[in-house]
Amino acid sequence: MGQLSRRDFLKFITVGATTASLYDVEEAFGQFLEPVKVDNPLAHYPSRDWELVYRDIWRHDSKFVFLCAPNDTHNCLLEAYVRNGVIVRIEPTYGYGKATDLYGNKATHRWEPRCCQKGLTMMRRFYGDRRVKAPMVRRGFLKWVEQGFPRDADGRPPAEFFQRGTDEWVKVSWDRALEVAAKGLVNIATTYSGEAGQALLTGQGYDPAMVEATQGAGTQTVKVRGGMPLLGATRIYGHYRFGNALALLDSHIRKAGPDKALGARGWDNYSWHTDLPPGHPMVTGQQTVDFDLSAAEHAGLIIVWGMNWIATKMPDSHWLTEARLKGTKVVVVSVEYSATAPKADEVIIIRPGTDPAFALGLAQVLIAEKRYDEAFVKRFTDLPLLVRLDTLKLLRAGEVIPGYQPADLTNFTTVLKAGQAPPPFALQEKQLIPEGLRKEWGDLVVWDRKSGGAKPLSRDQVGEHFDRAGLDPALEGEFTVKTTDGKEVKVAPLFTLMRRYLDENFTPDQVSEMTWSPKAAIVSLAREIAKHKARTLIPVGMGPNQFFNADLKDRAIFLVAALTANIGQKGGNVGSYAGNYRAALFNGLPQYIGENPFDIELDLTKPARPRLYWKGESVHYYNAGDRPLRVGTKLFTGKTHIPTPTKAVFVTNSNSILGNAKGAYDVIANTLPKIELWATSEWWWTMTCEYSDIVFPVDAWNEFKFPDMTASVTNPFLTVYPRTPHPRLFDTRSDVEVPAGISAVLAKMTGDKRFLDYWRFVHEGRVEVYLNRILSGSNATRGYRFEELETRARDGIPTLMMTRTTPRQTGWEQTNESKPWYTKTGRLEFYREEDEFITLGENLLVYKEPVEATFYQPSVIVAKPHPAVRPIPPDQFGISPQDFAKSDVRQVLTLVMPWEVLKKHPSPLVKAGYPFIFHTPKYRHGAHTTGTDTDFLAMVFGPFSDVYRRDKRMPFLAEGYADINPADAKALGIEDGDYIWVDGWAEDRPYRGWKPGDAMYKVSRMMCRARYYPGTPRGVVRMWFNMYGASHGSVRGHESRPDGLAKNPATNYQALFRYGSHQSVTRAWLRPTLSTDSLVRKEVFGQLIGKGFLADVHTVIGAPRESMAKIQKAEEGGIGGKGLWHPAAHGFRPTYENKAVKRYLKGAFFIRRG
Amino acid sequence: MANVYNWQIERQMEYPYEGARPKRQFAAVFDLNKCIGCQTCTMACKTTWTVGKGQEYMQWNNVETKPYGGYPMGWDVRILEKLGPQPWEGKKYVGKTIFEAAPRGEKVLGYLKEELDWTHSNAGEDEAAGTLDKGAYFTMPTHDMWFFYLPRICMHCTYPACLASCPRQAIYKREEDGIVLVDQTRCRGYRECVQACPYGKVLFNPVLRISQKCIGCYPAVEQGMQPRCVTTCIGKIRLMGFLSKPDEVKPHAPMDFLVYVKKVALPLYPQVGLEGNIYYIPPVNVPREFLRQMFGTGVDQAVETYLKGKDDPELLGLLHLFGDTKEIVETFTVFPEAREAAGFDKKGREIVRVPFTEPDYLRPFYDDARKVYRHNIS
Repeated sequence: MGQLSRRDFLKFITVGATTASLYDVEEAFGQFLEPVKVDNPLAHYPSRDWELVYRDIWRHDSKFVFLCAPNDTHNCLLEAYVRNGVIVRIEPTYGYGKATDLYGNKATHRWEPRCCQKGLTMMRRFYGDRRVKAPMVRRGFLKWVEQGFPRDADGRPPAEFFQRGTDEWVKVSWDRALEVAAKGLVNIATTYSGEAGQALLTGQGYDPAMVEATQGAGTQTVKVRGGMPLLGATRIYGHYRFGNALALLDSHIRKAGPDKALGARGWDNYSWHTDLPPGHPMVTGQQTVDFDLSAAEHAGLIIVWGMNWIATKMPDSHWLTEARLKGTKVVVVSVEYSATAPKADEVIIIRPGTDPAFALGLAQVLIAEKRYDEAFVKRFTDLPLLVRLDTLKLLRAGEVIPGYQPADLTNFTTVLKAGQAPPPFALQEKQLIPEGLRKEWGDLVVWDRKSGGAKPLSRDQVGEHFDRAGLDPALEGEFTVKTTDGKEVKVAPLFTLMRRYLDENFTPDQVSEMTWSPKAAIVSLAREIAKHKARTLIPVGMGPNQFFNADLKDRAIFLVAALTANIGQKGGNVGSYAGNYRAALFNGLPQYIGENPFDIELDLTKPARPRLYWKGESVHYYNAGDRPLRVGTKLFTGKTHIPTPTKAVFVTNSNSILGNAKGAYDVIANTLPKIELWATSEWWWTMTCEYSDIVFPVDAWNEFKFPDMTASVTNPFLTVYPRTPHPRLFDTRSDVEVPAGISAVLAKMTGDKRFLDYWRFVHEGRVEVYLNRILSGSNATRGYRFEELETRARDGIPTLMMTRTTPRQTGWEQTNESKPWYTKTGRLEFYREEDEFITLGENLLVYKEPVEATFYQPSVIVAKPHPAVRPIPPDQFGISPQDFAKSDVRQVLTLVMPWEVLKKHPSPLVKAGYPFIFHTPKYRHGAHTTGTDTDFLAMVFGPFSDVYRRDKRMPFLAEGYADINPADAKALGIEDGDYIWVDGWAEDRPYRGWKPGDAMYKVSRMMCRARYYPGTPRGVVRMWFNMYGASHGSVRGHESRPDGLAKNPATNYQALFRYGSHQSVTRAWLRPTLSTDSLVRKEVFGQLIGKGFLADVHTVIGAPRESMAKIQKAEEGGIGGKGLWHPAAHGFRPTYENKAVKRYLKGAFFIRRG
Repeated sequence: MANVYNWQIERQMEYPYEGARPKRQFAAVFDLNKCIGCQTCTMACKTTWTVGKGQEYMQWNNVETKPYGGYPMGWDVRILEKLGPQPWEGKKYVGKTIFEAAPRGEKVLGYLKEELDWTHSNAGEDEAAGTLDKGAYFTMPTHDMWFFYLPRICMHCTYPACLASCPRQAIYKREEDGIVLVDQTRCRGYRECVQACPYGKVLFNPVLRISQKCIGCYPAVEQGMQPRCVTTCIGKIRLMGFLSKPDEVKPHAPMDFLVYVKKVALPLYPQVGLEGNIYYIPPVNVPREFLRQMFGTGVDQAVETYLKGKDDPELLGLLHLFGDTKEIVETFTVFPEAREAAGFDKKGREIVRVPFTEPDYLRPFYDDARKVYRHNIS
């Protein structure tokens, strides 16, 4: 370690002012001379005046509360302690136990403390060198604007202006940055408007369906996105409001008028992040079922499934450990011995991506051993409903009962006549079903054992309403019915079809082979669930959700829960814990994001009159090369899902959209060049900023001058970002001032004053007007005034959400008050009769092998011949099964094989030299990327951190690493701590069209450390998803800087990789069953039911854990690339244990005598 | 050498100074069954106390994963190895302590940590003993594969090795609360304490050229507040308090109850002989032989007591008071009927009260006064 002269010492003392100086120097040196006599320092010490130094460090001048909310669902109010104007430490507020609601209900102090390591080190970021300090514009882009937007013949800007990643940055004024953004926007929207604009897009090679989808509005090629907008109801959702305002621009360009104008496309979040559990809407007709995590208090059994609860839900992990303390049994189902595993009574480790098979295995045992809850099945599920074996559709009452008239729906339901407007959200009492849909659905049929015949069952007849019908539906059997047109048709209850499928394919023996789970685990867990009817919670994490078969996983887990009455109960439910999303808690949001820009309400006491002009769109299409899912001769993307070409992008808080996107390097290499304007708002220079055209500097949480609010899916709190007294450090503004500012320029450019009025309360600094409109318009918050909430937040106290129950249990009303689910049948639906599903063989709840991450033939439905599994052979779509090595084809390929056959078919990728499943879960030391490049936090970021970077190859103080089973690593000649190359499937990774020697290939081919990790199975390699990847600038820094940091010398962007990133091995995946126009689901906000695409509810979600990889040694792990990594060399690492460590592991130093 | 009584090993032992227990002893209990390895405590400490030059590598509070983690690297393996086999007869440790095993001319058996030992502070994170092959099914009483997090601060020992080893007598124990401090003005950086502390909890500042360590957040403790690492612990695994002398047990003092009465919280490596004052509730899923090596012979009883906690309202109540207040809980009371627990300050004022089960609420479907329906699916 370094030496320091007295002069340096003095210098450090004065320089260290940001954290208060440690010692009084003169006193310290003066005391050298004084003798001190100590008799027994255990008993008494004579000179304790020096103790003042630490009391002095502890001292603060003032404190204030801010909200830390990096999209981890927790939303912690934190207290900043300020000294000499600088935040010196951050503390939890201990105000959660003071939270109340309008009726006097209270939370308790068991919610304390709420904070984490990321939040407590936040001042290292507030004052960090990657703050975006001023508006920045890329030089080439600025030139393009200044030169009046020159374009080539095909309409595209000349490439010389678009050297993103290697171009220089120009610092400009706010006015200039907003002007450049507005001008670019107007130019792009104008260029791509009308038939001429569409012709250009066609000429540029976009899919014709996408071009058509613009409807000739250039504004439709503009994409806006607030990154997880629930994190800021006005601040981040402001981008969507901006999307709505762009209808004014369309009106200006195309003279469209309020009836025809179109706004922007609004990109999705929950579904983009692969957080949406896509089977939840299939089973329940609405977004997601979940519960506040404090519900653990009421469960007898908790199955933590594919969820690393203690690492990703840290401040709520005590609910789990305390429940266990009180006798709740905890079972972890995982693909590794996870961080949560030690907190469980039982741990079951399965093969990645086989979760649906494991769940089906549980269901098989429950049914075969007759341990299921027959009453729940009959009262709340579609399992008794009859399925026609000819068409594979559900049998309708009208088909067998002559003259049958569908029932009048009265159970918590209103059928809306055409043109009838729904009431405001806060006053929506019942489900709202458009008459057209009601007619389309008809009523269903069961086989009544009492009367021995087919009997109609209406959507109303669930729970006690079903009981009153006096029916005794058969669950088992096959029947023949006579249809009204005289045909005899074979029908069977879904239960029978399901049971046959399970018994033939998912016995414990089969499931054990398929999933790697020991047989005893399957049988024992099934019995345990049966023992805990209505008292089993099944929180499911993002692990299984990130496989292509995620919807099947949801359907299968719900089946297990439904068979055991574990849905919608206080201590029994399914929950999905990937992402935060429940914007529906603020279902008054359309007051803000949908205020009609042609009819603006400027009276602050009145609500707005919403009219949506922006349209939702999935980011996955952009991610997939700005293409829909067209394979062979078929367009698998439903009409309602079709994206538009992406020409301009406005994002805030969105590193996931580009820098940490799945297949990020393919986006950068192949899609980004087609985009003509990319504007990012950020307070931290992320990898998305690296490749942007304009970067707007926005306030960090400690600097908020515009208050805001957010909510959570894991806790019951409505949380406010209070305004803070802390001054802005740099030339920053609120996120919401960016769209408001661009709109103000548009007002000047177009002469349309409405662009100004639309943001009046932002310009006036009274954003609470909008916040109050949202609060008053929302079921869960009406009655609250924002001003009161903010006052409490300033004291560190949140407010309880006014949901029906606390803890919020999705489905509580359905199960306990016999309200229908939001599905066609009003029941939990395990069958999908829509054509899209029948075509793919997924009408029946089946298990399908992963699309890539499997050792077996990918994309195979595991089934013996079954009357209800009849997918259309791929050759009918012009697809040859021989093409299955192609990633695009695997997305839509459907082959059916029994397990006994499949197990003999290894994956063609494995045969081609890609033997490892490579998956990228989330880590505790980052909320997404936030925190992972904080210097202090980097110290504990994995095993390779070294705060002094003794090995100059290190990209940062910490770095990305891959966790490999030691036996696998040894077989490859890789030592613990070595640098390795990790390559994904070469067809399309790291990007389509890569060539060795390309600069882009160098930036994007992943190099990282290898860690020997005993907790991952053979053949399964894990890497955290949270690290900042290499950019062109970071690679330049790594190779040119004397310190070797992978840090862009121009921007300070700091990568945690020397080359590439975990996203080098991932790619975009589009799933056809998530692309239907027919799936029935509730709208995001309110009680209205519709069908087809819905952002964050029914759309593609990607599959970021679907990767196979090849791994090779790159460099040795010892400092400077010589020899073994230090801890391994000293015998303190797995498989390198020295003699003492071996003894220690056995506990053999302890000797019991006598 | 004096003879002092160390209750953790149930015998007299040699120590360089006469025994002198402080008026009150800073102590804490860490429930390892609840620790989630999040390092919030580490960062709470780091951002407060070790932001200066020469402190870059320092973690006065650290969390390591056992068995493969250690900060400094292998600290416990190395001291155990030096100490050799450690025999116990019943609850009495009959092997040598590090004072008794000190080489000739030294006061303490220790070793000088090398610079690189402090480097990879979180190496071993989440790494288990045992290796997975494919699938697995682990069940209780202990998992075949296991690890656990071990959060560590200075033990503020009754018989500190650092204090014993300091040639300048610049390390002392505060009479009023037993917190052990290195006098930052008198320390000359001989690093005897760094070598002596078997827990590796005294660290050398190469810039100031003096030794530094956890100060028990005494500026907070002096104001009746618990330390930073405790008040920020989101796993709610920590409770700080004062431990009475072993012959003056106060059953309603949280530390006394957990350590002396219930014996559910155990000392860390008691055989080294320091009578450390941070106590651990052992992790129930870990093989007992490993735990006995680490926490002594009380392990089996402690695990059993913890596993029966659900039927022990007093224990359950107190465990629910962890992490509910920033203030120091001097005494506690459990109300078994109401299933509530309350904590009190020095003056007997109730500072916090919590239920064993977080209350659940059902709101009316329609609120006529506010004209709104309340849904769970909105």
